[in-house]
Amino acid sequence: MISTKYTEKKKFNKQEIDRKWWEVGDYFRRNSLWLLMYCTGCCAIELPPSMTSAYDMERLGMGPMATPRQADILLVSGYLSLKTLRRLIYTYEQMSEPRYVVALGSCPINGGIYHDSHPVINQLDQYIPVDTYVAGCMPNPESVLNGFVDLMEGIKNKTANGWKKYHKNYDWYKKNQFDVLGEVVIDDEFHQ
Amino acid sequence: MASIEFLILFLVGAGIIAYLLTKLNTIVGSIFTIFTVMFVFVSLAQYGFGMDIITTVKILPGISFSQSYLGFYFAILIVFIYLMVSFFHPYFIDKYKYKDSYNLLFLLSLAGILGAFYTNNFLNLFFFFEIIIWTTMFLIPQGKSKEAAVSYFGFSLAGSVSLLLGVFVIFNSTGTFNINDSLALLSGNSAVLVFALFLIAAFAKLGAFPLHIWLPITHGNAPDPFSPVLSGALVKLGGFIAVLALIKITPATVMFRAMDIPIGHYLVAILGGLTIVFGTLMAIKEDDAKKLLAYSSMSHGGYILVAFSILNSMAFAGGFYHILAHALASAGAFMAIAAVSRVTGTTKIKELGGMIHKMPITYLAYLIAIISMAGIPPMGGFISKWLIFQAVIDKGMVFVGVAVFFGSVGSFLYVFRPLAALFLGQEFTEYKHVKEAPILMLIPTFVLMGLNIYTGVFPAAFLKVINNIIVELGYTGITYTTYVISGNNGVLNPALISLVFVVGILIAFIIFILLKKSRKVELMDTYTAGNFIHDEHLFHYSTDFYAPLERLYEKQSHWMTTFYRALAEKVKELGKLGKYLFMSKSLSVTLLWIISIIIFLLWGEVL
Amino acid sequence: MILSIFIGISIALFGFVLQTSIGGINRKIIGRLQKRHGPRWYQEFIDIFKLLSKRSVSHGWIFDFGVIMALGGIIATAMFMPLTSTFLAFENYDNFFIFVYLLAVGMLGMAMSASGSGNPWASIGVMRALTTMLAYEVPFLIVVLTIVNLSGNSSLTEIMLYQQAAGNNIFLIALPLGGIVGFIALMGMLGKKPFETYIAPAEIASGPMVEYGGKQLGMLFILHEITIFIEVSLFVHLFLGGATNIFEFLFKYFIVYTVANLISNVNGRFKIDQVVKFFYKWPLLMAVTQAIIAIYFGWVI
Repeated sequence: MISTKYTEKKKFNKQEIDRKWWEVGDYFRRNSLWLLMYCTGCCAIELPPSMTSAYDMERLGMGPMATPRQADILLVSGYLSLKTLRRLIYTYEQMSEPRYVVALGSCPINGGIYHDSHPVINQLDQYIPVDTYVAGCMPNPESVLNGFVDLMEGIKNKTANGWKKYHKNYDWYKKNQFDVLGEVVIDDEFHQ
Repeated sequence: MASIEFLILFLVGAGIIAYLLTKLNTIVGSIFTIFTVMFVFVSLAQYGFGMDIITTVKILPGISFSQSYLGFYFAILIVFIYLMVSFFHPYFIDKYKYKDSYNLLFLLSLAGILGAFYTNNFLNLFFFFEIIIWTTMFLIPQGKSKEAAVSYFGFSLAGSVSLLLGVFVIFNSTGTFNINDSLALLSGNSAVLVFALFLIAAFAKLGAFPLHIWLPITHGNAPDPFSPVLSGALVKLGGFIAVLALIKITPATVMFRAMDIPIGHYLVAILGGLTIVFGTLMAIKEDDAKKLLAYSSMSHGGYILVAFSILNSMAFAGGFYHILAHALASAGAFMAIAAVSRVTGTTKIKELGGMIHKMPITYLAYLIAIISMAGIPPMGGFISKWLIFQAVIDKGMVFVGVAVFFGSVGSFLYVFRPLAALFLGQEFTEYKHVKEAPILMLIPTFVLMGLNIYTGVFPAAFLKVINNIIVELGYTGITYTTYVISGNNGVLNPALISLVFVVGILIAFIIFILLKKSRKVELMDTYTAGNFIHDEHLFHYSTDFYAPLERLYEKQSHWMTTFYRALAEKVKELGKLGKYLFMSKSLSVTLLWIISIIIFLLWGEVL
Repeated sequence: MILSIFIGISIALFGFVLQTSIGGINRKIIGRLQKRHGPRWYQEFIDIFKLLSKRSVSHGWIFDFGVIMALGGIIATAMFMPLTSTFLAFENYDNFFIFVYLLAVGMLGMAMSASGSGNPWASIGVMRALTTMLAYEVPFLIVVLTIVNLSGNSSLTEIMLYQQAAGNNIFLIALPLGGIVGFIALMGMLGKKPFETYIAPAEIASGPMVEYGGKQLGMLFILHEITIFIEVSLFVHLFLGGATNIFEFLFKYFIVYTVANLISNVNGRFKIDQVVKFFYKWPLLMAVTQAIIAIYFGWVI
């Protein structure tokens, strides 16, 4: 039964419209995820089978891209030494927003087999926000694809918002980055 | 009413006053020069279009004038380029060694040009040509190198001598020096001879293959504000002689039946094609922005030759329009480079980068000029190239077609190079302090930008003048209405193209503005595959821009230079031999002469 | 005039939708060719809209202005394109040279914007694109010279009507050598392998597009689709006799694009100087031979 009580006509305010648009955008974003593969470790070997005819990543609308500007996902496959972490952060900051980070293997989670190595970092999400982890050493292609599907779910449920976290806790991330990397005085691009 | 004699004398007088004023103060002298040229331009524009200029001669001895649409077209164009360039003088003249005489020579050469296009007598034509050559010859060495003047003078002299020989042949066979009468009377073998001699002169002035060596050397090393005059105006003198030779003489030779074109003209068209290809390839390779534009002038000279050698009115319209479009475009481009050179002191592409951030208006001027130069709508160059293409296709000239299309696509390559490496790209720290050109230099820049666009959007006004010339030359003019040009195989509506282009830009702009605003980042914050680069020089791709393409013709590109160098060596050796024979003090040579003279005398006795 | 402009805009929009769909279908076909499932047929639309929804970076006004100029130039070019021999926006003004040179405005805009980003890879990509253009344009234009000379008109609809007239073969059959050259040049224009030197993602990080992301890249994708629409349509109109109705056009268009795509997917990539050498060897020779025998000897099938 329809209530006879006077209710104010539902008006779309600006926030509401923005939210709607954002949801429409989310549909496109989760169905067209382009990867920037940061293949530092052995997990990278699992990517070719997940891309080619056996598992065919393209049917989910995913594909490799050449530069961080074009990509949506920063795919960190494997361990990160301090030298590569610097470059990873630089690359991450160059990406267009919204941007997501997927970490493959156990190394970005807790250091994996390199957990006690002095030039290798143990936890990636101390330095940049990670949206999806795919555990395993190495994770097989099914779990890699499963991880991507998880990310798509995350985008749909608005839980994959690491890039917002990065803006919000920018100082905290920067502090962590500085603590581990130290400030490097640069005057020559070939020696650092 | 302006009398041409008065204008010439006025220029000479004003030149002397300008000399004195420049001696006192360079700025005052230069501004006086601007007003002088402006006066000449305004009087020409006021009376010239209606053929109302008085041509009677009262003072100057032995000189006679007449007016024609052809001469007027060239004259007004060149005076206009002179006017545009004169605005640059106050900022450049202080840099030159003989700055007092700069304005004097500039005005004198303009007087020579007025005379050359308004005279009706071949000897006068030669006389005025010599004035132009001699005055400009003293202007050119004030730039970077003195050799440039030598090279310019050498080739110009070859051209003038050939012109003079042609004039003598004409006088010998027709008995008159009057241009129109004598060319009409010319026939038979002497016509072929004059045709060839005049063409040598035209090739030398136009910098066409194989007489092109002087062009890049001279244009590249001339004073910055004088290069636009050389390229936009003086080279067009060659076009004028080419018109005389190709259209007014037209010796009766064997016809190519397939193409309906005389064999001599076809050869000229092929040489024009070679000029286009050669100029394009060399321009692609060149690293100095001014030399690059000089080679582009060479290749555009090739278009003019091709157009005039196809004997129909469509091609003539294309040729005359190309003279106009290229003069405007090349003046615009050279002036933009001059403006850059003024603040940075170099025209080498690899030493420059990111000038757009400090000189956006200069950049726009260059952009519009090169769009016209590459023949892209909606600029003037497109109309002329379209007309020339129509004529080439209609005649079915396949080999010339290859060259013409090659030059047209190749021009995208070379004009883009200064754009990419000099104006765009990384901004160099050493040029962070530079400023946009001052307002007086921006006036001609804006005028040229406007005209480059206007010639491409509403060509009807210019085609009217060109049609007058074509009718004067004895052909029927091309058909056009206010907006539409009709070719042999198609119609063109430049205004519609521009309108649609604007609509397209508008749509793109709306799409752009509706979407989320971008985040502004620095130029150095670019994709480096994760590497940190802090020196923008290492991150600026400008040296050997077209390296993979250049590699393909690297070996062949020195052929012409090597040939001319070898020729110069031979001439030098000949000179040495002469010196040895006539100037030597050694006994044996003297003895040789005595003996040979005795033998000659005895020989004469015997005979 | 206003109506014509609206028709033109809808042709450009139609071209975009058409090419994006056919591009998606082709991705599926290529997927099947490689024993994959392949993406959804509307995947290309999703990609473009996703890019438009992202927040990008900008390297200054020339970076944005170049993109606008490029897309504007391409939309303007597409507005002149006839779909069939009777349906076009601007009657009589579909001159062939408009397409070649107005297309160049778009290319110039994109090149300008790419160089304006300050990335050397972009400049290298532009260099390669221009060099490739120098390679394929000349043989193509020589073939077009032959076609225009034979049909006596450079308007696309007139060329179509000439081929459709009784007694005339379509130019792919009438000028077999020229037809082959035309198709090879089309491959070059589309940037398909083996002439894909200027994108080369693994070599120069996708060349001119290296710095683009978000809306600029989305606009470049739209530009790319419309460019392909123009180029394939040009081939259909010039060599395949155009179309009398829209379905014929769609059919021919689909066949041409798919064949080009299939050839592309079984080829490797040339080096840039190999592209130039290749085009100036056989295609140019064939084009000139074709022009000579067709124009001077009149041997047309």
